[in-house]
Amino acid sequence: MSSALKEKPYAEEVPTTSPASVILNGRYLPPPEDKDGRLWVRTSALIQASTNDLYAMWRNVEAAPGWQEQIKHVAVTGERTSHWVMQSGEKTIEWDSEILADEPGRRIAWRSIGGDSDNAGEVIFEQAPGSRGTVVTVLQAFRIDKLTSAWETFTGRNPKQAVIENLRHFKALAETGEIPRTQGQPHEDRGLIGKMKISTYGEKVPTPSGSN
Amino acid sequence: MKAVCWMGKSKVETLTVADPKLLNPHDAIIKVTRTAICGSDLHLYDGFIPTMESGDILGHEFMGVVEEVGKEVTNLRRGDRVVVPFTIACGNCLFCKKKIWAACDNSNPNAHLMEAAYGYSGSGLFGYSHMMGGYAGGQAQYARVPFANVGPLKIESDLPDEKVLFLSDIFPTGYMAAENAQIQSGDTVAVWGCGPVGQFAIASAFMLGAARVIAIDRIPERLEMARSLGAITVDYSEEDVSVLTALKDLTGGIGPDACIDAVGLEAHSAQLQGTYDKVKVALMMETDRPSVLRQAIQAVRKGGTLSVPGVYGGLLDKVPFGAAFGKGITMKMGQTNMHNYMKPLLERIEKGQIDPSYIISHRITLEQAPEMYKVWRDKKENVTKIVIDPWANAAA
Ligand SMILES: NC(=O)c1ccc[n+]([C@@H]2O[C@H](COP(=O)([O-])OP(=O)(O)OC[C@H]3O[C@@H](n4cnc5c(N)ncnc54)[C@H](O)[C@@H]3O)[C@@H](O)[C@H]2O)c1
Ligand SMILES: [Zn+2]
Ligand SMILES: [Zn+2]
Repeated sequence: MSSALKEKPYAEEVPTTSPASVILNGRYLPPPEDKDGRLWVRTSALIQASTNDLYAMWRNVEAAPGWQEQIKHVAVTGERTSHWVMQSGEKTIEWDSEILADEPGRRIAWRSIGGDSDNAGEVIFEQAPGSRGTVVTVLQAFRIDKLTSAWETFTGRNPKQAVIENLRHFKALAETGEIPRTQGQPHEDRGLIGKMKISTYGEKVPTPSGSN
Repeated sequence: MKAVCWMGKSKVETLTVADPKLLNPHDAIIKVTRTAICGSDLHLYDGFIPTMESGDILGHEFMGVVEEVGKEVTNLRRGDRVVVPFTIACGNCLFCKKKIWAACDNSNPNAHLMEAAYGYSGSGLFGYSHMMGGYAGGQAQYARVPFANVGPLKIESDLPDEKVLFLSDIFPTGYMAAENAQIQSGDTVAVWGCGPVGQFAIASAFMLGAARVIAIDRIPERLEMARSLGAITVDYSEEDVSVLTALKDLTGGIGPDACIDAVGLEAHSAQLQGTYDKVKVALMMETDRPSVLRQAIQAVRKGGTLSVPGVYGGLLDKVPFGAAFGKGITMKMGQTNMHNYMKPLLERIEKGQIDPSYIISHRITLEQAPEMYKVWRDKKENVTKIVIDPWANAAA
């Protein structure tokens, strides 16, 4: 590294790599592109909590229905495996999931191993520069056709947006102990068009309870 | 309960809807004792703010008595009298910790809508579109208040509602506008708009050390009110008045040290420029009418400060950014970081330094609200501020 700039009183070392591949050799890496029926989503949040606490909260998969949209039930079935049940409107889908990497306080990686969902993901917990909290980065991939994805965008959430919203719920729950919500508050009847719009705003997707 | 509902552009109705319930552990239900109509509500009424939906309950300025609290609310009890800030803040995210409460990360359930429009989402607001959270508002008999452990200000003295109600928005908003103007003692400050926000900006500018305040509007009773606070007034609608010349004349040719735009996106303009903006907005090539913003950028002195409490929503045309750069000005703006100001301003009221109720012109019932939205928009009947008593009988 050049020594041209000597005065950097608060600079921190540039990481050479970060596990969810946001940085490689000092360069920003864009998220993977959607290809051959595989959709990718990468999202991150700055959370005011420790890497260890956030890791523990994520690792407790049986509590996932409290903050992940449309997840009805999760059961631990082995040391690294769990069974997931998701309900989207009338539709119920189920799959098994296996943890591929488990580094306490740092990183969890998983993939589905049979069932109705083909997904794989990774979450990392890193201290933010300047100790301003923990940066949580999620990288997730799905196999799904574009048409379903477009339809789901219209009717509620497509899976990409769901990953983004889930991390938002996770952050709110970690920082405040609840997930902000408006479902169940009073309003006058909205009429047909109003109802459709509410649905495109994503307000029809049930907000997770925020508790176990 | 009865509530004022937005039923479409220029269409507001008082209707009977369900009572609010506790939905989250930090919620409180407030029995609303006083609420007000704000200049910001006009932007909704006139259809300038996207993602309003028919059926939404309006209102973000309200106070009342705690009726019920969620299981995690430890600082409030049934029966407490509180003023509720219009921005909803969690108290724990990075932004709340930095005291930029209006940028709270955790209070907007529809953050993705605002992210799409603005890059990042601000805090949720009461009764102010789905993009800003979709929360039911306070022009109603009851309201649900999220993060009630953080926002509501307890009123422990026996000050009447009318003296403290405006701590819910416009007094702190006017105060932050003056703070954002970075006033140094001896400064001359120009304020566009002598509505409620402008009034409190004028009063606060004096409190923060302004030697002279110049107030600009066209409505006689509002200009009169500004003079009563000690401001020099300029009526921009008078035929031979040019605001820019007036401000030069009144500052020895150097311009005001700070300018405050307390008008926002629905600025009125009689000139050709006004027609230009109306046409562009109608054609959806522009969303806001920034004639005051343009004027204020032009007017402020070299190295001066422009503070913008007036609301802007979208895309602005012909903003003289070159002038801003050329003079090296500072611009500060945004939704009010309410939680910073409520307590210190309450103390000023308690000490008798200011009585915010002086701006009230109309006291009405919920049933009268739809009619009064029109009066408020058209600035008829010498209206300066409308306060609603949600429990008053229509016949009274
Ligand atoms: N930043 C915030 O958090 C916040 C909070 C509350 C209100 N606001 C905004 O502040 C603004 C003012 O609110 P208000 O309640 O005082 O509204 P208001 O409508 O009562 O006042 C606006 C005033 O501006 C005057 N005006 C219009 N065009 C003008 C021009 N070209 N030059 C000078 N004056 C002009 C009008 O005559 C009127 O008196 C609104 O945009 C409102 O949305 C912002
Ligand atoms: Zn307001
Ligand atoms: Zn917050």
